[in-house]
This record gives sequence, C-alpha cells and structure tokens, in this order.
Amino acid sequence: MRANMHRACVCFFGVATVMSGAAWGQAKGSLFGIDYATSGYLRTDIAINTNDDPNPYNQFGDPFNQVTVTRTPGNPGLPVDGLPILAPILREGLPFSVPLGVLTDEIQRPQKTVTNLFNYNVLRWEQQLELRFSSALRFVGQLRGIYNLREYDDDFDARDFRNDQGMIEGGVPELYHGKPNHYDYRVDGDDHPQMFEITGRDYFVDFPALLLEYSKGPVTVRAGNQRIAWGQALFFRVMDKVDALDLRRHLILDRALEEYSDERVPSLGLRVTSQVASTVVADAFVKKFQPSVLPNPNTPYNVIPTQFTVHDMYAEGGYDDEVNYGLRLKGDYGYWGWQAMAIRRFNDAGVFRWTETGVDKDLPNDNLLGTILNTYCATVLNAGTGCGPLLAQTAFEVAPTPVSVVSADEWFWYAADVRLGGISALNAAIDEFPAAQQILARSVGDDFERAHRELSAFFQASGGLRGHIARDYYQEDVFGLGASYVTETDEPGSFFNQIIFNLEVAYTPDRAFTPLNLSQRPLRSDETEIAFVAEKYHRFTSGFPATYLVFQAMHKTESDLFGRHLSGYGGEAVKGRNTEKAIASGVDGGATYVAFAFLQPWPAYIWELSAAVLADVRGGVLVQPGLKWKPSGAFTVEGFYNYIDGTTWNDNPNDSTLSTADFMNEFTMRFTYQF
Amino acid sequence: MHIRRFDRGYTRRKFLADASRGVLATGVLAPLWDVLAAEGEMTSAYPDELLSLDAYTQGRIKTGDEIHAGNVEFVKDLLEPIRYEQILNQGRRLKTTRTTTDLMRLSPWEYIEATLSNRGKARFDERGNVVTADGQPWIGGNPFPDPKTGLELFAAQTLSWGRHDSSFYAFEVQDVDVSGKVNFDYAGGWAELHPVARVSLSPKPYWEKHKDKLRFQSVFFLEPHQYRGTSFLNIWPYDHKTFPQLYGYIPEFRRIRQHPTDQRFEPLLPGTTMYLSDAWAAGDPLNTWGNYRIVGRGPFLAAISDGWNPDEADWRHGTHGGPKGDSFWDTTVELVPEAIVVEAEPTMFPRAPISKKRVWFDARNQVVIGMVTYDRRGQPFRSFDGAYSLYERGDKKVMDGAHPYWSWTHVIASDIQSGGITRLQQVRQLENSHFSGANQDDLYDRYLTQSALLRLGGA
Repeated sequence: MRANMHRACVCFFGVATVMSGAAWGQAKGSLFGIDYATSGYLRTDIAINTNDDPNPYNQFGDPFNQVTVTRTPGNPGLPVDGLPILAPILREGLPFSVPLGVLTDEIQRPQKTVTNLFNYNVLRWEQQLELRFSSALRFVGQLRGIYNLREYDDDFDARDFRNDQGMIEGGVPELYHGKPNHYDYRVDGDDHPQMFEITGRDYFVDFPALLLEYSKGPVTVRAGNQRIAWGQALFFRVMDKVDALDLRRHLILDRALEEYSDERVPSLGLRVTSQVASTVVADAFVKKFQPSVLPNPNTPYNVIPTQFTVHDMYAEGGYDDEVNYGLRLKGDYGYWGWQAMAIRRFNDAGVFRWTETGVDKDLPNDNLLGTILNTYCATVLNAGTGCGPLLAQTAFEVAPTPVSVVSADEWFWYAADVRLGGISALNAAIDEFPAAQQILARSVGDDFERAHRELSAFFQASGGLRGHIARDYYQEDVFGLGASYVTETDEPGSFFNQIIFNLEVAYTPDRAFTPLNLSQRPLRSDETEIAFVAEKYHRFTSGFPATYLVFQAMHKTESDLFGRHLSGYGGEAVKGRNTEKAIASGVDGGATYVAFAFLQPWPAYIWELSAAVLADVRGGVLVQPGLKWKPSGAFTVEGFYNYIDGTTWNDNPNDSTLSTADFMNEFTMRFTYQF
Repeated sequence: MHIRRFDRGYTRRKFLADASRGVLATGVLAPLWDVLAAEGEMTSAYPDELLSLDAYTQGRIKTGDEIHAGNVEFVKDLLEPIRYEQILNQGRRLKTTRTTTDLMRLSPWEYIEATLSNRGKARFDERGNVVTADGQPWIGGNPFPDPKTGLELFAAQTLSWGRHDSSFYAFEVQDVDVSGKVNFDYAGGWAELHPVARVSLSPKPYWEKHKDKLRFQSVFFLEPHQYRGTSFLNIWPYDHKTFPQLYGYIPEFRRIRQHPTDQRFEPLLPGTTMYLSDAWAAGDPLNTWGNYRIVGRGPFLAAISDGWNPDEADWRHGTHGGPKGDSFWDTTVELVPEAIVVEAEPTMFPRAPISKKRVWFDARNQVVIGMVTYDRRGQPFRSFDGAYSLYERGDKKVMDGAHPYWSWTHVIASDIQSGGITRLQQVRQLENSHFSGANQDDLYDRYLTQSALLRLGGA
C-alpha cells in the first residue's frame, strides 16, 4: 500500500512537473473543461555562519575534539551469583569503587574541528497548481523543491573512519554510514515514512498540499495531504497542536514573522470546517499521524549528538497506522472571543529510550581491558570470540574512536547538554539490559566517581561507544481554552486603543516525556501550557506606516520550548574533568518565555524593517533583526540575522533552553523571483 | 424646448450666491430632486451650458471629441489639478460622451426606487447614526437624496458603497511607477454585503439577526503567488463611530487571526498607493472623520457612463499615456452639470498621513466622482478618479435581476508627490470561479464568514 502510494506520488510529481514546466510560471486557463491556475517562485537562501564554534552535536564540532582528557577505570563488577552472602557488596557496593590507577590513560578525540562558512545554501522552487472542476470542487497541489547548492562538512564521511573496530554499523545506513545526508527522512523499517516526498542526500521534493476541497454553503471539506494551524499565539504552540514540525531545512531559523510556514509537516487527512452560527466556527480534522522530523546527523542544524544512533520506531512500532483527530470551536462577539479545542493525538516530539544495538562486534583486543573482557565473554560466558554477541543486546555499539564517545567527561558533558541524567542514564542502560550486566557492567546508584570510572573502563576497553536510542510515540489528549479581548478607547490615536489580547491554555494529562535515564518507561506528568499575546498596530508618525507590534509570553509547567522535561536542566558540565555538578538538578517553577516582535514598513511597503526577540527568563535570548526589500512584484530580497546566546544572564548554559541553539548565529539572505 | 436664456455666467453666479448664503440647493433652474422625482430625468433643472460640453466650451470641444494636451485648457475648470496635469504633460486623454440625463441610468434600479420612496424618512440620532423616524437602522436607498450638508453626502456614501445589497468585484490592480513601468500586478476579489437597508435581497429591509451591523466586507488576493490566499474580513457595526472587526488569513500563519483595525492608512499590499480608508472615498466609519463641509459647487468632467468594455471578454480596459503608454485607463467622461465638493478631516486619526480629503459628488446621484487627499502640510497628496457605468452597450448587457448591472468599472489613484499611479479595474471573472456581479444569493457563505476566509486562504 505504502509503496503504491509512493509510486502514485512520484507519478504525480512527474505530471505536475511537466505541467508546471510547460506553463513555467504563472498561467491560467481552461483545459478539457477544467480550469487551472498555476504560479510559483524560485528562491535562493544563503545562511552565512558567524559563529566561532561549530555545531557541537556533529563530529566536526564535538567540543572534545583534540582535547586531552584522562581516563581512570575502576574495578569491574564480578559474577557473584554463587556467593549470595557477598553479592550485595560485590554487585552493588564494590564495583568501580576502586580506581585502577595503573590503567590510567589520556585520550584525545582524533577528530579535527571544522567551522563551515555556509550553514544553508539552497535553491528553492515552489509551484502551486489549482484545478477547479466546479464552483464547489477544486484540487490544490503545492510542490516544493529544494536543492542543496553547497556541501556542509563536505569532507566528513563516516566511511573514512573505518579501522580495526570496523565502522559504524548500526542505524539506517543512509543517515549514519556515509556523508552528511541533508534531506532523506528514514525510519527503521521504512524508507518512505512521509509518503508525499521524494528526497536524496542533497535534494528534497514534497507536496505540502495535495488535496481536494469541496464546499457547500457554510461547510468546507478538505481531503488529502494538508497542513492545519490553530490558535492566535505565534511561534508558541499552545493551541497549535495539529501538525508536527519538519526541521530538516532551516530548523526554526526562518523569519520569525513567518512562524512555522515552512516547517509544518503535512499529512493525509480530512478536515471539515463549518460556520455553525454567524459567530461560531467549528473546525474538525482526522489526520494520519506524522511525527516531527529532526535534522539528520552531521547536518548544519542537527541537535542530537551524532554519537547516538537513533532508531525511529514510527514504522516498526506501528505508529504509521495511527491517526490524530480533534475539534476546535471558535466564537467571536465583537470585542470578545473564545476558543475551545480537544485533540487526541500522538505527540509528534516522540520519547527516546535506550535500545539494543543489534551490532555484534567484539571489543578491540588492542588494550588490556578489552582483551580481558573479550576473553571473559568467550571463555566464561561462551559468547563466541568475544563480547560482540552480548554487546549486540546492549544499547552500545563498539565504533571507531572518532565517531563515538571515548571518555566519561564527554559523556557527562553531553548528558548535561541534552538535558539527560548522566548517571541515571548509565544505570538504566545497565539495569534494563541484562547483557550489559553479563559483561560486568553495574549500576552505580548516584555515585558520580564510580560512574566516571565505569564509563572510563568501558570506553577504554571499547575504544569508543555509540549509544543506540529508540524513538517511540505516545498518545495523549490535549484540551485547550482561549479567550480574546480587543480594547477600545475614546481617545483618538491612543496607543491603548485596539490592542488585541489573547490568552490560551492547553492541558495535557499524563503526557509522556523522554525520561532522564532513557529508560524504557517514559516520564509521565500532567502538563499545562499557557500563552498570552498582545498585538497592536500603531502609527507613531504620520510619515511612516503603522508599526505592527506583538508581545507574547508562554509558560509551561513541565517541559521546555522543545518538549524536553525540565528535570533534565541544571547540569554544569565542563570540557575537561567533570564533577557531580554535571548531573542535572532540574529546575522548579516551569519554563517561561517572552517574545517581542515588530514590523515597520516604509511608505508603499517597498522596505520592511523587522525584529524579533525571544527570551528565556532563566537566561538566553534569540534576537533576529531583518530587512526586506521588494522593488517590484517579481523580486524580493530579504536579509536577517539570528543572534542566539544561551548565557545572556545565566552562568550555566544548561539552565537556558536557547543554549541548545547557541552555535546557530548566522546571517541569512534570500533572493526571490516570483513568476 | 429647453431654456437657453441663461448664459455661462448665470450658473457661476448662482453657485457662488448659494455658497455665500451657506445653503445647498441642488439644481440651478429648479430643485434637482423635485425634477428627478417628477420627471425621471434632470434636463429642466439645468441650463444648456451644464448639459452639453459643446455648449460649455462654446463649440471648442464637441461631444465625442477627445480631450488632450492641445485642448485641455478649455475644460481646465472641470478637472481636478492632477487630471489637468496628467493630460497636459503626461499624455493622458479623455474621450467624451453626452451627459446622462436619465436618472435610472445613474445607479442601480432598486436603489433609485428606494431612494424615491424613502425620501424624507432619514435623520441622524444622538450618536450620529443614520436612522429612520422611529430610530431604526436605515431602510434602503439614499437617505439624503437632496443633501443640505457635507455630512449627509458622506453618510449616504458610507452607508452603501456599491449601492447593491451585495456585490462581488473581481479586480486587478497594477502599480505603475514614475518611469511608466508596471512594477506590481495584483488580482483578487472584493465582496460586500449589507444586512440592513436592503432593497433587493430578502429579507428586506433587515437581515434581522445582523441588524446591528452595517456591512460584511472581505478582500482577498489570488495573484501574485506570494500573496495568494491573503484575505481579510471586515465586519462593520452599524454604529457609525465604531471600528469594524478585522479578521485576516495570512498564508504564512495558515490560520485566521484577529487583527487590529484602527490603522486604516496603510497600503494593503506593497507598491500600491491605496489605503483601506480610501475605499469608495468613505472607507472608514462615518464619525471617525469630522469637519465635513461643502466647499464648492459647479460642473465637472467625470466618467459616469459608457465605461464598460464588453469588447474584451473579461471587460479589461485599454491603457495609454505615461512614459510607456501604460499609465492611464482609456476613459470616457461626460459633463456633470453639478458637482458638490466636500472636505472632511480624519479627526479620529491624529497621526494619519493625510490632513483632509476633498471629494466631488455628482449632485444627480451623489456618487463620488473624484477625490484628492492632502498631506499633513496641506499639499495635494493623492488623487482618485473612477468610472461608473451601466453594464449595457447595444445588445450586450450584464443583468442584475430584471435590470442591467450598474457598477464602477475602473479607478486611477495617482500619487501626486511620487508620480506613481495605481490602476484598478473590475473584471468579469477570475479563474472561472469568482464572478463580478450584484445580489448573488451565496455571497455570505462564499466570501463573508471566517469559514469562507479559510477557504479563500488557500491550502
């Protein structure tokens, strides 16, 4: 079925391309009694990196590249099943409590650090085709094509790092076994989880809209691939819960005032909208569940450290057969308005957990610990030639040093950075995987030093490990309420006249989050999200058009802007010998963000100056000034700068949501030709 | 036999004398609306010199001739300064036709009938709203066909823009810069519907559940691609001092959001020189402007008839003039016997870019036939001249119920200070889906609800 759909998609792509190519640009008319209209644009997007530090989540940006760190392993756990009296001590107290100083070594990730000039350099084509069969029935197709004009990290190729440990073996080969793959979206067990797109390493073609629309009286029905947005708040997605986000292209770094225009994930569905009363609109949908798409490893905006291999369970977990559905009512009564919604959906962010690698690769025998453990696995556990069969049942894959985690300090730095628990994640990877215990790994409670020694021992023995994590999706119910109010004053031209206030609240009981320890059991808690919006359109002088101003604030009780649970915040890690400060302490009081944006057009709207600021009250800002020039209907030139600082008024970057994007300072230029 | 004893100076003296006494009584030889009501046409209200361009120019320009740089001096007093300048120096030309005397060809049929039957029933209440004698919203037609004040003229214009209970205009807009190059090209639709003062659509005169509203109005754009789907819905309360509610669909946001509505002097789209406030010269609630005053009366040249172009399938108009021959619509004008010039100031908009507007109304039907706005320094800023027509020529006609369709056909908005020109025209249809016309049954559901906005907003 899926293959057939994909073939149909490819077929349509061909037809649409031929039609659009023939029309090449804006055209309209009638063909065989069907009216058609097509239009589109070409655009180049160039984002120039202005950051000294490269993306830390990519191989060429790992902060531990060529940084010397010391590894002192500890004594491993012992197989003490036959000694029940000593078992509690040997199994739980003793392992890794004694540093084996004689085995201490120093290690550098033998990986260069590369700073790219261009983060994003693409040619983009969009074409829309509308076919009208009758006044009530029409077809809408949108084609979006992107070609990557320049390589990023162009001399990175995972295959170059093959050594005695082999190469990276786990995961989807197109994503992990070669050069950076910008646009392929792959999940385990399905090469086409998004049926309406065709992608390659450097190109991307999809159909953001491919639907039939039927309207009769106050009712409109849309069936097909489509996107839906709800809520008055921009950027803060409190009521905007229908679509996932596709972050493969320019993450969320496009102009803030475009919101998620290019990021919303379309999906197959049915939407019915009806004006049920003169003041009330009902909007209902049923859509195939599509998760958010994260940037691929070693691509410019990747946010998952590449030492992880992600197994997206969208297909193998059966989530690709699931649907989301919901209803929203919106009423407007002059100065007042309200909205209410209820959605049953699979949370598109997903929940990550440790998973077995399936990679049967022994520990290297070029070091003492590796040799001992391989011998132990082979002789005592009868595991073959070494520990490979057992490692395959753990969450860790033996991988070449440059493309894996090689030190405990690197482990703790990344754990703190991605808002996970460095020790608890280690414990869960051992406790929930018996094979790990068989090769003498032991959970260490909350003892940081023992965890450090245990990690050092296994990194030394393996030469480097890659962690395998699975991404699952959990169903949830989201209930939302909103109210709006428009101020009216008698004073002409008052700033306080016509301010539109909106308050939106969403409540999700028993929401599933990624647990800090990457356990098989998700972290569950009820979450409330609140957004407040104040918008104003004000003319400050008679010489310039009115300025659009918007202030927004959002509060989330359990997670941050990106959906990470707040209990993972607060770890203070350094690019050297870490201490227990690196362990997440969590933050209380929820996450609060404020945003302010303005848009100031020049007379006749030929020029537009805009700026947007997003601040995390715990520290960290994103500032985006921009200028747009539209000299004619066909041409548009835009330039905007993204300045992101995760430590604006906080010392610890891991207290701020925005530190995750701290490396993304860049200047973007766009040149659009519309036809 | 029409009276010829009144020379050219008589009408001038008459208009000046009335002005000095501070009275407005339309008609020169007889009260205009008494004549129109009795005879259905206005010949006996005006002397010859106001009924024929030949007579007015003493034969220098004959009906059917073209006004151009070589002869514009003879009609300089009949033009606003910017049109005179455009004809003299920018190659603009105007074709001429005979003056329309038949009242029923000057507005929609039902509107004129209601104007005649409801004459004298309108008044302003204490809030400044136009109401009937018993304080109810207006019941249809022009409430002040025999206006005495500038406010009455603007009240009628604001109450009913298109003079139909509902209208849909498929339109195209071209923005021409000072070099004559068309820089911006837009196409879209404009819908308006009145829930009160209805004269054609049932229920009449009120759509009871929306009796507290003056109009529903939406505008959306189909071209260019970048703005396809951009659409706005205005819901006007009947109260003449309250701003409408504004809902908009911006394609980037993919949803309908409420927008502030008190800023009405902003270009709707890049490159255009027209504001929301400029719509029909009365784009804002009546009492958000003030100091309405009559500042002049006299004959005028305006495009009142013969402005429909059935020779083009979609009614598009030819262009001429300007550096590239593409700056002005081909326009046919006639001598309007009496225009009433009214000025008003944007009293509720202290930072508006304009200080006042001067609007010419045709005394026969009180339609707006010209407007000049002035900047904050009092200098002429922009000028608007539009064209109306009965959509009937020979055996070709577009029907609105039992009678030919009457509407505007094109508008020229000139930015006097920059030299830019925005051309706007009504076309028959866009994309075989959106058809110009009046009093369509399904206009509300198709264009004037939030649900409709979502549909217009694209996918």
